[in-house]
Amino acid sequence: MRDDLKVGVFLCECGGNIADVVDLDEVRASLDVEFVGQFENLCSLNGRKIIRDAIFDHDLDRVVVAACSPISHEKTFQDYVKPLNPYLMDMANIREQCSWVHSDRKKATHKAITLINASIEKVKQSDAVDPIYCQTPDEVAVIGGGIAGMNAALSLAKQGTKVTIIEQSPSIGGHMAKIGKVFSPVKIAEECGMCLLNPILNELVWNDNIEVMTNTKVIEAERRAGTYNLILEKSPRYVDTEKCLACGKCAEVCQVEVPNDWNDNLSLRKAIYRPFGQSYPEAYVIDMDNCDKCGDCFRQCSMRAIRLKGKPEKTLLQVGSIIVATGHKLFDMEKRPEYGYTRYDDVITQSELGRITGVNGPTKGKLLKANGEVPKRVVMIQCVGSRDEKPDGHRYCSKICCTVALKNANIIKHKYPDTDVLICYTDIRTPGMFEKYYKHTQENEVRFMRGRPGEVVKKGDNFIVRTEDTLKGEFVEIEADMVVLSTAMEPSDGTKEIAEILNVGTTEDGFIKESHPKIKPIATDVQGIFVCGTAHDPKDITDSIMQATAAAAKVNEYNYGGVEIEPFIAEIDNEKCIVCGDCVSRCKYKSMSIQEDEVYIDPMSCTGCGKCLVGCNQRAITVNGNIDEKILSTIKGVLSKKQEGERMILVFLDNIGYTAADNIGVNRLSYPESIHIIKVISVNRVRPKHIRYALENGADGVFIGEFPGDLMYDEVERKIQRVKDRISEMGQNPERITFSKVYIPYFSGLARKFNDFDEKIAELDEVES
Amino acid sequence: MQKITDSPIDFAEDIIHDVKNSKEEGVLKCVQCGMCTSTCPAARHSDYNPRDIIERVLEGDITILEDDCIWNCFYCYTCHSVCPVGNSVCEVNQILKQFAIKNGIGYEKLYEYMGFADSYFTAAIGAIPEIFFADIDRDVPGWWDFRQHLDEIRNELELDPPLMPPKDVIDEVSTILTITGFKKKIENIREAQEGEK
Amino acid sequence: MKSVPDKDILLFRSCLVSVEYPGVEASTKFVFDKLGIDYAISEKQTCCTGLGHYSDVFDQIDTTAIGARNFRIAREIGRPNLVMMCATCYAINKKSVKLLNKKDDLREHINKLFDDNGLSHLKYEKDDLKPTENIFHVVDILYGKKDEIKDHIKYDLSGYTIATHHGCHYCKVHYEDTIGGVRDPNILDELIEECGCKTIGWYDHKRATCGTGFRQRYSNPELSFTATADKMNAIADEDVDIMVHLCPNCHIQFDRYQHLIGEREGRNFRAIHLNIAQFIALAMGGDFDKVIGVKAHTVPIDSVIKELKEVEQ
Repeated sequence: MRDDLKVGVFLCECGGNIADVVDLDEVRASLDVEFVGQFENLCSLNGRKIIRDAIFDHDLDRVVVAACSPISHEKTFQDYVKPLNPYLMDMANIREQCSWVHSDRKKATHKAITLINASIEKVKQSDAVDPIYCQTPDEVAVIGGGIAGMNAALSLAKQGTKVTIIEQSPSIGGHMAKIGKVFSPVKIAEECGMCLLNPILNELVWNDNIEVMTNTKVIEAERRAGTYNLILEKSPRYVDTEKCLACGKCAEVCQVEVPNDWNDNLSLRKAIYRPFGQSYPEAYVIDMDNCDKCGDCFRQCSMRAIRLKGKPEKTLLQVGSIIVATGHKLFDMEKRPEYGYTRYDDVITQSELGRITGVNGPTKGKLLKANGEVPKRVVMIQCVGSRDEKPDGHRYCSKICCTVALKNANIIKHKYPDTDVLICYTDIRTPGMFEKYYKHTQENEVRFMRGRPGEVVKKGDNFIVRTEDTLKGEFVEIEADMVVLSTAMEPSDGTKEIAEILNVGTTEDGFIKESHPKIKPIATDVQGIFVCGTAHDPKDITDSIMQATAAAAKVNEYNYGGVEIEPFIAEIDNEKCIVCGDCVSRCKYKSMSIQEDEVYIDPMSCTGCGKCLVGCNQRAITVNGNIDEKILSTIKGVLSKKQEGERMILVFLDNIGYTAADNIGVNRLSYPESIHIIKVISVNRVRPKHIRYALENGADGVFIGEFPGDLMYDEVERKIQRVKDRISEMGQNPERITFSKVYIPYFSGLARKFNDFDEKIAELDEVES
Repeated sequence: MQKITDSPIDFAEDIIHDVKNSKEEGVLKCVQCGMCTSTCPAARHSDYNPRDIIERVLEGDITILEDDCIWNCFYCYTCHSVCPVGNSVCEVNQILKQFAIKNGIGYEKLYEYMGFADSYFTAAIGAIPEIFFADIDRDVPGWWDFRQHLDEIRNELELDPPLMPPKDVIDEVSTILTITGFKKKIENIREAQEGEK
Repeated sequence: MKSVPDKDILLFRSCLVSVEYPGVEASTKFVFDKLGIDYAISEKQTCCTGLGHYSDVFDQIDTTAIGARNFRIAREIGRPNLVMMCATCYAINKKSVKLLNKKDDLREHINKLFDDNGLSHLKYEKDDLKPTENIFHVVDILYGKKDEIKDHIKYDLSGYTIATHHGCHYCKVHYEDTIGGVRDPNILDELIEECGCKTIGWYDHKRATCGTGFRQRYSNPELSFTATADKMNAIADEDVDIMVHLCPNCHIQFDRYQHLIGEREGRNFRAIHLNIAQFIALAMGGDFDKVIGVKAHTVPIDSVIKELKEVEQ
């Protein structure tokens, strides 16, 4: 019987922190347990011996440590109670939540006794459970083969991790392959982008730890105990990459010509083609949407590498973690028709200008208009689709467009010093070293006009750019014969798709959201999934590479460390479960799924909130650790110490609220002695029956705090309202229950709320007595 | 000099709190990009500059209420429809004019339109003020003649109801325009303008 | 696309349509009847305050109180869908509905004025009307039925060069609610295509104002006509025969003043001007005098449309 369990209580003086306010002699005298010990510093190594000896000597079944907050030393004491199961120990927080917030010695002592009693009652309900260790498989999937994905993969591979790169297009390389020239802010010069990319590409190709899958997409993903099962679909290439020598004879005989998307459709390619000179795999590919199946290429190929038949193949890939590097796309210019992009050939994007000035581009690097002439004046328009909150625009700054415009302006000026280049900008954003490049650009006689153009129209042979020169305060019309639009970066379609497939959170703009923008900029809100590059937000090549290598480091942290999980999570009784799937749709943390006709709960994402449990008609779900009973016993433990005329308020907080409450003590603010804080693993575990029991058995008020960022917040708020309604129907005053937002940094607000609620309850007591 | 006690932002705040404002804090978010001016017909053909209007508002420059240029806005809402930060100079301009009127500024600009106010108040009809008829007749050949035959043309088109609203409608409209303070405002403007003459 | 009603419509009378281009009203009715749209007109409804509002004589509270009265009338006769022939009526009424719904102080103030002065029957309760669901322009309604337009086309107007002018107060004021685009407005072009015609699409100043500018036309004609000239020159450069618009303000500006502006610019502007309802009515066989109301036009319609060719069946 649980009541017969032998409990030992260990009181910590905390070097006076506790003993100066709480009369521990009185506390000791009040306790009716198997063993009571007291020590100056229980957390020191001597404490370990005292506790362990007492456990052996007195054959203790349960331990209560009355000391500081479990946030500070729970792990320590879980270790000190060995060989007892760590979850058979409970801490009574008589420092942060007693001696540090109260000054009246008598009242503080009584409160300490109450808190210890609550812990004793609670720990009697504890069961021995083992923490869950999740060791995830080491294999990693990198989704997206651009500069970010390539670098992440390479970094992992060099550290010995097996990586699969999944790329939906026929070649890895991404945007960087077509960018033409790049520049670094320190070197005031532009250099060949492909020459920088190629060594990375080669290194990657030769690394045995990396497998590259092109023409491949993730179409389904499921998560099971830290293992991701990715279903991949590989579209046929129609050319055997093993046999193909990339000689190009097939393309010579192919009669079908279609716009070359790698050249931003500025040139034509054949239906059988190689995306670009350095593309990998080093093989041709057939664009079956445009192939007329004449068979000429097939007959021409001496290697017999061409197979005109083929269908998509599905494969399964199992990995422990995933790096999302699915990148960006550029703003659709049809959404800003006033700039005439769709009407005029010589209104182009910066990306197209990059192709035109690239030596491997449609004009072999010559800056030419559609009519073959060199432009006399190029006007660049910044912030097209960025910093624009009108429909279809993006509120954010795309971050790279200023420097891209500077780079392309310089490239034009180097080759065509007679061509006038004018950049119409709102703000030139060149932080840090980039400012030097801005100055260099000015020295190159690139001109700048501060103003955001309203429209581009064609008059005769030339364009008219209508804008205001805002520094002069004049409306101006500028003649130009080429207009270049600096278009916004937005999440690629692949980024949006993979977010949905992997169920990772996105920002309001559709980029993959990091788990915390300040301190966790690489993890996503799903454990084991990381993000890098422009799938995350607009950034340049350098930042993409930095984030990619950081993602690789995070994956290895995860791979080596494993994950220890508190065992208080839901469990399914498969005998009772009818696999109705109701719990799967209920779970806010997306931790449940149906696999092989059974409901599976991912221990890594279950919070033990118990939402599934309440909704299960079959009563097939339990949450480990006897939580319901523990909460009830804690309530009983507190209320049984209620004295004549004492006001008792029960406060239920989860880890976040509890930390905020601790902070009140750490900062030596105070709140009334009536406040008794009960820590729960999830506020949702406080059931209506608990609240009703408390109010019917002596509690004067119940305070529930929840962090608004918790996925269950709305749910809990509604639940509390229902309890209030119910209480009201039963003739009790619903004002005795309150629900409040809590935030860790806002501890002073929480202290004030405790005070206010105490005052309100005092008034109610007075009125109703 | 901007004194430490000056609070230039109050002007923008007053505009934000005006009932006409539909752009919330938009005016405060202006970055002076000039897109409004780039597309503004009045900026193209006069010294009206919508970007400058907002600059002066944000500087707390209330002399703008007396600046004749604010009366050049076409109310075409082009700036409103493209402003990248979600401001509307067109609305701000309308609010500025109401501020001006409340401060007794610009009565002479409204005076020509008293005919509209009168016909609405006394007949519940919105009409081009008669004061402009001579100009129209001069500029638009045949217009006066057409207006004389309007009834016939309407009859031929079988249009009803007639142009004139019934008396109970007129009474209701006049009451509304009395209780909103419109009538009083019109009387003040008329008094001030006709007193000057 | 937002949902557009075809019944319970109050066709909102426009003061300018009534006295300047009554054929717009007759044509709208003609086309609505052909398309089976359920509408009515109320003699109790009064002007949106248009020119008064935009000459700054009417403040927002005056206009919105008048609006509240018109909204009550629409609801009373069971026609909560207000459909405007004039872009300015559309913009003004939509804004009043938005303000009455959103700004509690304004609504309560107006209701209190009504209560205190024996006009309680005019009170407006929050969300009595919805700006997107109840306030429309005729073009919205036509767009909702656009697939049926071609079934009624009698005359082939495809031989003419046609340009569109969209009316700022339809497109730009409540841009989130505009069908067919704002930056390159196209609802008229799409409706004209349903009549079997092509428009020239984009032209310089396509989205610019007609130049009316309310007080500008009457008190500041130099500025007003200079802005209109931009547009007329652009249209003339494209050799346009028919300019189609959706607002009587624009209609007056182009039709009444084309000759004067031509003189100022030293060019012979020759386009004729039709409201979209007139254009469709014409294509559907509406009579020049009994439906289109050509006698109200300053630029003679028959200067361009000399004969009508029936569509081949």
